[in-house]
Amino acid sequence: MKEIIAIIRPKKVGPTKEVLERLGFPSITAQSVLGRGHQRGIAGEVACEIPTELLTQGKAGGMKFVPKRYLSIVVQEMDVKSVVQAIIKVNQTAQIGDGKIFICPVDDALRVRTGEVGINAIA
Amino acid sequence: MKMIRAMIRPDAADTVTQGLADAGFYSMTKFSAFGRGKQKGIVMGSVHYDELPKTMIMVVVEDKDVDEILKLIKYKAYTGNFGDGKVFISPVDDAFTVRTGEKGL
Repeated sequence: MKEIIAIIRPKKVGPTKEVLERLGFPSITAQSVLGRGHQRGIAGEVACEIPTELLTQGKAGGMKFVPKRYLSIVVQEMDVKSVVQAIIKVNQTAQIGDGKIFICPVDDALRVRTGEVGINAIA
Repeated sequence: MKMIRAMIRPDAADTVTQGLADAGFYSMTKFSAFGRGKQKGIVMGSVHYDELPKTMIMVVVEDKDVDEILKLIKYKAYTGNFGDGKVFISPVDDAFTVRTGEKGL
């Protein structure tokens, strides 16, 4: 089992959920988080052209953290590739700030209602 | 790659993120969380606070950088009192950048 952690734009949560549901992975956990990447904040995040002098100002102060949505999906190992590809495809806008995806190993899972463990718990 | 998740005091969050940025680790995610530790919350007078507000900082880095980040967090989030927080390190198999679809950090 693998946990897919995707940190994406808040606006893209709806489309992502739709695509995942169509793929057969309706179960996700979402949380609103703040974060930043290589750009150290908001610089380059918006669609319009930013003058270079403003960009340097933004790096000095400005918006240090950008609001994002954190999605966590636990899937079987064989499904990781398709889910990751689907998330990448929906979330691409060709602009900086599209997000990151991390894949972490999960040892076991338990469904509380029935007590099922392992693959049965996430299927 | 490793994921470092640090549960720290909310007032230490800025110091820690600034310290990480100064050391070259700009990329991180943070959010507020609630939790308790070995001390089962805190008792102030007659009131027992079961869960205390904390900030969780999540950083994914290459294996070789883990020690440096741990040292930084230990130094920046330290007050010496109960409730300074905990740091958890877990493995990460893969990372993808959504915009380019590239593998790796």
